Amino acid sequence: MSGWLYEQDLMVQKYHILIATRHDRILRTIASDVGIGVQELRKTLIERLDMILLENLPARYEAAIAADQKGDDLVALALGRYIFSTGIPLVRESRMDEILRTTKERLDRGTPRPEAIAAGKALIREAILQ
Amino acid sequence: MKRTVDVNIPLGPVHPCFKEPVRLKCETRGERVIGVEVELGYMKKGIERIMKGRPWQEVMFLAERVCGICSVIHNMVFIEAIERISGIDVPKRAAFLRVIANELDRMQSHLLANFSYCYTIEHETLAMYLLDVRELVMDELERLTGARVTCAYIIPGGVRCDIRAEDQATLRISLDRIESDLHRYAKMFETGPMIALRSKGIGILTQESARRSHAVGPTARGSGINVDMRTLHPTYQQLGFVPVVRKDCDNHARIMVRFDELFASIRIIRQCLDTLQKGIIRGGGICKAGEIRYSGEAPRGELTYTIKTDEFGRITDIQIQTPSIMNIEACCHEMIVGVDSIADVTSTFVSADPCIACTER
Repeated sequence: MSGWLYEQDLMVQKYHILIATRHDRILRTIASDVGIGVQELRKTLIERLDMILLENLPARYEAAIAADQKGDDLVALALGRYIFSTGIPLVRESRMDEILRTTKERLDRGTPRPEAIAAGKALIREAILQ
Repeated sequence: MKRTVDVNIPLGPVHPCFKEPVRLKCETRGERVIGVEVELGYMKKGIERIMKGRPWQEVMFLAERVCGICSVIHNMVFIEAIERISGIDVPKRAAFLRVIANELDRMQSHLLANFSYCYTIEHETLAMYLLDVRELVMDELERLTGARVTCAYIIPGGVRCDIRAEDQATLRISLDRIESDLHRYAKMFETGPMIALRSKGIGILTQESARRSHAVGPTARGSGINVDMRTLHPTYQQLGFVPVVRKDCDNHARIMVRFDELFASIRIIRQCLDTLQKGIIRGGGICKAGEIRYSGEAPRGELTYTIKTDEFGRITDIQIQTPSIMNIEACCHEMIVGVDSIADVTSTFVSADPCIACTER
């Protein structure tokens, strides 16, 4: 009992939400940040989020940035912990904590910071596209 | 990811408790709601696209047609954004008249929201009382601006028309009546045991969840978040405005915040009438090229216009972020999830004062 009888395809409507000026600007920022193609990210968002969350994307993104900046964890800030786990819920919080821990371990082992952050972002990319 | 659910219950798009069409797809386990998906698209206007390329003189009328319930604030935020781009000053008398129009609009919107909630929990008597008070407010708005809904009262550099001395006196008499009636109705709501059964402890929106969804307006203030764009507005600052906040985080708190704000609006209007200075109501100025992101406090919360204009005063780009977008999102993904009965879904949804016209623009 989990299917809908009269379901309509919302893909086109969701796409139109995402190509609005502010949404598009934010989407492109995220895409270049984690290294995903814009269309691929659009497809992922359309498949995984509902219409109202897509409409609310800019506000949630800004709230998540503010939450990231409020904390004193610089690695979390660089990875965009709140952006991808709570702001735009594409990565589960437990998985995000795991990625954060792995990145910190890499830094502790002496890996240069840009390299460790890039590896963390690659893990986020993987989690988003899963 | 698909979850195992007992029953999927679609509410809407047409529902007796919803003012506008929207479809909520509720996933339930037993009576408990475990997830909600929102389906929009039943009344998309595409008004931002219509606005692009048009001169401000046309866009100011389009702006107040985004929403029929809070049209004055759309007019006000758009015009104040244009004024800030162009460096146009507003005469003091006009600034106070703007506040009076805005607060009357807030009052009728809050009364309609509380009416909807009472109607949804089937307290029709109180609902009709509130609707009766709203008519008084609408009459005052009409007396001040000349229209009930799309007033077009606020224009760059001032307001369209002045308030006469006899209208000021009538407004004061109406405010006295509204205030005395509202005291009775607010008490009825606050102390009603049956109302409490349907409202207290239901539709919990914690402060953390509200921040995550960027909830705004009475929805956020009912969760203890002290956020109100009026605190940043120069005229409201002059009036010493202090936001109303409650900390119970439930449906009851959100409705009570609106009742408290009704009394606050009455106080603000009286203050404006007491301190209204004599003088002109329309200055002058030329709309120039520029870009701005400007916010104002609509009855439902923070309303943001991001506008780009060219040297002829045409709108080349515009984005409107209405408060209902954030509040409906917070409502459906935080407040409704976890309610113990499907019967509470509609009342919780209505407690956030959702406006689909605003959301779909």
